[in-house]
Amino acid sequence: MNQQGLAMKLRPSLRRIDGLCRNTYRYFTMRQKSTLTSNDEISHFKELAPSWWDVNGPQKILHLMNNGRMDFIQRIMRQRVKVTNPDTYIPGFNYREFFPVSVSRNIQHELDLEVDSRLQAQKLSALDIGCGGGILSESLARLPYVEHVTGIDLTEECIQVAREHALRDPQLLHKLSYDVKSLEDVETEFDIVTCFEMLEHADLPSEILRHAWLRLKPNGVLFLSTINRDIVSWFATIFMAEYVLGIVPKGTHNLNKYINAAEIIDWFKNNEPHTHQILETKGTLYLPIKGWVEHDCSDVGNYFMAIRKLE
Amino acid sequence: MLSRSAIGIARVCSRGISTKSSEVAKLTDILIVGGGPAGLTLAAAIKSSPKLQHLRTTLVDGADLTGKVAPFYDNPPADYTNRVISLTGPSQRFLQDKAGVSLMEDRIQKYDGLYVTDGCSTATLDMEQDSMSCMIEILNVQSSLLKRLSDLELDADSFQLVDKTKVASIEYSTPNDTGSWPLVTLDNGDVYKTRLLVGADGFNSPVRKFSKIPSRGWFYDRFGVVATMKLEYPPYKIRGWQRFLPTGPIAHLPLPDDNATLVWSTTEPLSRLLVSLPPEQFTALVNAAFVLEDADMQYYYKQLSDGKMSTEELLADIEFRTEQVYESLQVQDLVDEVYPPTVKSILGHTRARFPLKLSHADTYCAERIALVGDAAHTTHPLAGQGLNMGQGDVEALLNALENAVSRGSDIGSLLALQPFWADRYPINNMLLGMVDKLHKIYGTDFAPVVALRSIGVNFINNFPPIKNLIRGTLSESGR
Repeated sequence: MNQQGLAMKLRPSLRRIDGLCRNTYRYFTMRQKSTLTSNDEISHFKELAPSWWDVNGPQKILHLMNNGRMDFIQRIMRQRVKVTNPDTYIPGFNYREFFPVSVSRNIQHELDLEVDSRLQAQKLSALDIGCGGGILSESLARLPYVEHVTGIDLTEECIQVAREHALRDPQLLHKLSYDVKSLEDVETEFDIVTCFEMLEHADLPSEILRHAWLRLKPNGVLFLSTINRDIVSWFATIFMAEYVLGIVPKGTHNLNKYINAAEIIDWFKNNEPHTHQILETKGTLYLPIKGWVEHDCSDVGNYFMAIRKLE
Repeated sequence: MLSRSAIGIARVCSRGISTKSSEVAKLTDILIVGGGPAGLTLAAAIKSSPKLQHLRTTLVDGADLTGKVAPFYDNPPADYTNRVISLTGPSQRFLQDKAGVSLMEDRIQKYDGLYVTDGCSTATLDMEQDSMSCMIEILNVQSSLLKRLSDLELDADSFQLVDKTKVASIEYSTPNDTGSWPLVTLDNGDVYKTRLLVGADGFNSPVRKFSKIPSRGWFYDRFGVVATMKLEYPPYKIRGWQRFLPTGPIAHLPLPDDNATLVWSTTEPLSRLLVSLPPEQFTALVNAAFVLEDADMQYYYKQLSDGKMSTEELLADIEFRTEQVYESLQVQDLVDEVYPPTVKSILGHTRARFPLKLSHADTYCAERIALVGDAAHTTHPLAGQGLNMGQGDVEALLNALENAVSRGSDIGSLLALQPFWADRYPINNMLLGMVDKLHKIYGTDFAPVVALRSIGVNFINNFPPIKNLIRGTLSESGR
């Protein structure tokens, strides 16, 4: 597919960047200079900053979603570990069907321990783009196999809140640093790059994807999540969540900025045809009593995605 | 903007001041207050869990755990102690699988059912189930857990048992900031700063008081009298016997061989009488309570408290009336089937009494605080659920902590602890309510109520689905 054809398929904002400022403009500087919406976004999150860590406050649903994100990240990271220790028994069949519960539990337990020890031998670095008050950054920094997390955000107040909150936990000392910085100003490369719930707040999401991908080491994993642009998402994340139930602060979302999972996949097919591998795409849905649950319809509502950079 | 930075400065200042006082504080991830079965189980389970064993854990208790409780495991006394509880299958499996405990098997008695009768009518509920539950001394549970903890050979950085020490005070490290780590000062002068403070410190929980979590409930105006008993011969059927008297239920529960344990709930004056009577009279009354009518019992209580009846007269009268009841049975062999084995004597100083109450905390967790066991709820002992509910709490808290660690959450945050409360509150509330209703339905000899409850019990006894449901609830502790 040629560049024009792709642009036609994409939603207006993606088309705009593809047409206008493909690679010459510095995305963030341009945004700060010329676009009002991004200033709106920054001031919106500035207002939310003081209550960011109140688990029963306006960001409650985000705190709950963080559990879902971490479960997703842990699953992907653990799946990627190859158990090669000859002492660990790896059944080559669906052992849970055949063995008694206690036996299969022991097998699982041994596998878990082996995966744990192999993971912990790695010392990974992570970049959390759009870290806000640091909910995800702190969680990542507490994982035993993560050595250091860098959190960046454009809202200064959020970074202040994040820095102050991290001081409360001695476990996070030296494992976490925050910066008010645009993505393209980040210089080093990372094993894990995350863009959770932020692409839908960016005016030029494809530029974010491009820069995030640049910041990823070979064999590293990019985790992202955003919302499909459809009637279900509008109903769930704007109409119900913001206006009826009031569980998300009003003005947080803008349907036009949502991005379909298929569009992200297309972007990678077109821009990184031989260097990426989509590891998993999962839909996620908030149920008021159960919290966030994963499902397989990743083309509806919110979704998580993990993409590996091939060596 | 200006005001915000002013607040920021104030925060930094207050932190600066507070770190001064906490410079000497020892940092720990989990501080458990209380070395009863719930607290010790939590400590052993944390240290046995691959996901949690890296957490620095400290357990504080006022009693001499290492000197007096731990030696029970290697040098148990020949006689049974009087604090005996019912441990259900799931609780036992949890202790073995998750806490890695090997209990002292030879001091545990499994029983195969419960035979429940009504002191005011002939209504009977006969629940049979192999290994329905088991009777075990609390010291057996505690000392096995201490043994497990010492077998793990943990260094002081990983686990510390601070016994013979009480909590002197608790405060937040940053005053008025409930998210800051609690500072716990012990009466030996040590100060601990903890990520998570667990209250396993019983009904009068200082941790619950600090957390300001309200606890509601009432005293039953009843006392439980416990004793360890010797039987005339080992029982023919190993089961629990319970009889609901208008003054409260009396339960006769098996221990290995010719031993058994008693829990007799009764009114305050009667409980005082029962613990003060000579052992022979008490033994005779226990035997009589399962066979004779309530009117006979009331007569004996009155005569004994007025001092108008000698031991000989009492024994003779009880024997005479008991024979009468036995003779009225159509088949003589039924005696062993419907009455518990006769008690020969009670062991020396094993009689004790304690007030019975119901209490339930509104929630089991707050920022950096979790309550387990009696600190969160206390119940009437009539269904043998108290300790099992505590084990259920510990299991749920353990699961919540494991999830929190794998999600990289702060294990002291409310978000990490809430699933624990959500898991346990409904089931505990159901059990507490069930036991409370049973107490109330049986706490009367008012004829219409007796008639209705007898019809109900006879119906349940002949209607397996409901009977199995009740039996399942009791033997699985509602899990």
